[in-house]
Amino acid sequence: MSNRQAVLAERIVKKFPGVVAVNDVTFELRYGEIHGLLGQNGAGKSTLLRVIYGVYRPDQGSIYINGRKVFLKSPRDARNHGIALVHQEITVIPSLTVLENIALLGFSWNSLASKFDYTSFKEYIDRIMARFDIGLNMNERVRHLSAAERMLLQVIAALSINAKILLLDEPTSPLSLHEIERLFNVLNQLKKEGLAIAFVTHRVNEAIDICDRITILRNGEKIDTVESRSIDVHSLIKLMLGREPEELYRVRDEKSFDFLLGKYAAEKPLIELRGVYTQPQIAAEIPLKNINIKVYQGEVVAIFGFIGAGKTEIGKTLMGLTKIVKGDILYMGRGIKIKSPVDAINHGIFYLPEDRKVEGLIPHFTVASNMDISSLDIIKRFAIFIDEKRELQVAYDMVKKLNIVTPSPYAKIIQLSGGNQQKVLVARAMLTNAKLVIFDEPTVGIDIGAKAEIRRLIFRYSRERGTSSLILTSDVDEAIGLADRIYVIRDGEIIREYYNKKLDRDEILKNLA
Amino acid sequence: MTSRELNSVIARFKHLYSSYELSRALIPLILLLIASIGMSPQYFLNPMNIKVVLMQITPLALIATGEMLIILMGSIDLSPGSAQAATAMIAAIITRATDNILLAMLAAIALGTTIGVINGILVAKLKIYSFVATLAALVIWRSFVIVVSGGRLIYGLTQYSVFTQDFGTYIPIGFLLAVLIIILIYVLLIKTVFGRYIYGLGSNEEAVRLAGVRADLAKFLAFTIAGALYGLGGVMLIAMGGFAVDPWSARGNELNAIASCVLGGIMLTGGSGHPLGSLLGASMLTILTNILVLLGVTEIAVQQTVVGIVLIGAATALTRGLRYVK
Repeated sequence: MSNRQAVLAERIVKKFPGVVAVNDVTFELRYGEIHGLLGQNGAGKSTLLRVIYGVYRPDQGSIYINGRKVFLKSPRDARNHGIALVHQEITVIPSLTVLENIALLGFSWNSLASKFDYTSFKEYIDRIMARFDIGLNMNERVRHLSAAERMLLQVIAALSINAKILLLDEPTSPLSLHEIERLFNVLNQLKKEGLAIAFVTHRVNEAIDICDRITILRNGEKIDTVESRSIDVHSLIKLMLGREPEELYRVRDEKSFDFLLGKYAAEKPLIELRGVYTQPQIAAEIPLKNINIKVYQGEVVAIFGFIGAGKTEIGKTLMGLTKIVKGDILYMGRGIKIKSPVDAINHGIFYLPEDRKVEGLIPHFTVASNMDISSLDIIKRFAIFIDEKRELQVAYDMVKKLNIVTPSPYAKIIQLSGGNQQKVLVARAMLTNAKLVIFDEPTVGIDIGAKAEIRRLIFRYSRERGTSSLILTSDVDEAIGLADRIYVIRDGEIIREYYNKKLDRDEILKNLA
Repeated sequence: MTSRELNSVIARFKHLYSSYELSRALIPLILLLIASIGMSPQYFLNPMNIKVVLMQITPLALIATGEMLIILMGSIDLSPGSAQAATAMIAAIITRATDNILLAMLAAIALGTTIGVINGILVAKLKIYSFVATLAALVIWRSFVIVVSGGRLIYGLTQYSVFTQDFGTYIPIGFLLAVLIIILIYVLLIKTVFGRYIYGLGSNEEAVRLAGVRADLAKFLAFTIAGALYGLGGVMLIAMGGFAVDPWSARGNELNAIASCVLGGIMLTGGSGHPLGSLLGASMLTILTNILVLLGVTEIAVQQTVVGIVLIGAATALTRGLRYVK
């Protein structure tokens, strides 16, 4: 590959309080290539991208664009050098049309003086879209657009300001398989036109599919840059994690299965939903229809289904947040009423939400106080006072036991990486004396290494303490690798139940076809 | 971990955080003090002036501390001014009628608590936005004051001079009492489960509720305690305000209370701020007006403009580093 160099980030070092996010990384991006930046969460890939985009200034190292050394003070500088960033969190304005959003994203104060000519701008954008075969309706309100189309909108906006270097930060994580394909088609077109594209991802398959070269980062350091033609998935995972991938999947041992069969015959289920129908109060929720679920003591049960199939609704129903119109919740065979999360916890049911940031973490709190917010009873003295020494001891033990990477139990939770934040929430559940913990997508959005660790924790926790776990997941490998029994849910209905013994993932997946 | 290691970790990390939040309020206060002393040493440091400043701080610090409880949990309270006036008026009437200042004080605090209880029910139980619920309280309790006072000024309540006595130290008893109460609130916020819940609610209410915290109860209690503080603020309003109350006393004090919190480094979005912030903020606001008067700026309009500018400065410093605010 002998294309011209677009960006050279040379020996970049970027430190944040307590962490070196990027440590002496050199990254080269050429025109006419898609260059993957692969790594786990916290590997430093997004930070590196933001350094190149002028969001962060590097502590050491230099950046060359088109062979010339540049000092980027802000994203605006980067844009003036022809760099654009496409990011899932960049806000498009839902109430405006596609065309208006493109105009806004490409807008610069320098062009304020010139008159905005709607017709010729539309023609200009139409030409760009035709060239790259992007079919977006210019007059559609952005609120009706899918995640993929919003991504494409940003790409068009970048092209409209003649960006030659595109930085894509985890563009595929909110997309469906079909949408990913559509995005990749466009990216390949852009590559042919000679654009330089940097593509951040933690998905190994994707990196191999779309990229020409892949730079692997681990813990802020560059491991290697490889040609994607000459590497296979297995060795790539190994480079990314620094260990063998096999050990990551199967968490569960099938040995204990016979013991469970005994339980099924002899015991009453700890929690049972019997013929439950719900009436959602929020439009986005879907109603549950005739849900029958049993969870035995010490068992790990998964409810598997796609996003929007009703998994979270089952969790919310057990937390008393969704109204049951028919059917019962039974606790050891006795009917109970759950009207609020407080009721649920009084009955020993604890829920760890899917959206860590919105419903899980308390951002101003330390690691320690995030852990014990549900179990302040165990660190109380004189009825209302918090015993700080005991709090630290409890938190310190959990940090050790769960292998949480944090500078101290008193570090602020927001300083931790996603995987470690999730471990703190798992610790929160473990500190309560809950009998059933509902894990809603416990490993979504965190990297493979932390995924395996958290699954192992959940499994061990259930087996050792006899606590039941209900895993709500859209990841079939998670269900198979972790659960004793698997319910498959679709459109608010349970459609199959499996005992997880010599179970094949395709057998489960065919239910959803 | 041994106990000694444990203690050293506590010392290292614990203090880092609280001292950061404290410094947000303490450093500007110290700078303001230095500037004030520098600009007018002979007047500002005059013992009588110091006493006047401390007297002015007292009622404001009490209602600002109540307001702080509400702001820390992410709500807002617009009722402290009216609550302060209502409780002061009740105390004044009872003092007139019975000459029993203790009874009057208890009645004022009881009324303040009732106001807080009603605010609490409106917000926690009926789920009315705190801004709206307490806006209603602002107008209703002001009307209450006008009705019970019959529109008249009540003056000459010299029984309240017990709070302005200083035994030669120039520090009035009322001020010491207020500081004592504020220290109790400090302990409540920093050392107790309730305080943890208040900060948690302000930081991420959804998460705290899902974690099984009795959030509505905590909210209700916060409004109630704040109400009691407004009641005590009402009593101190009589004591420090010339032993008199009129139907428009403490008008606009809800804004002074909020301004004190902002100056004291309490984040208006909730969840962050040092529990002594309200006291320090109230001190800043009072000293600022005081030094302007000493410098001969007697026009209210000019004073208020300066206060407004300082408030903008403080608010900017407080939200520095945030990507956006509402």
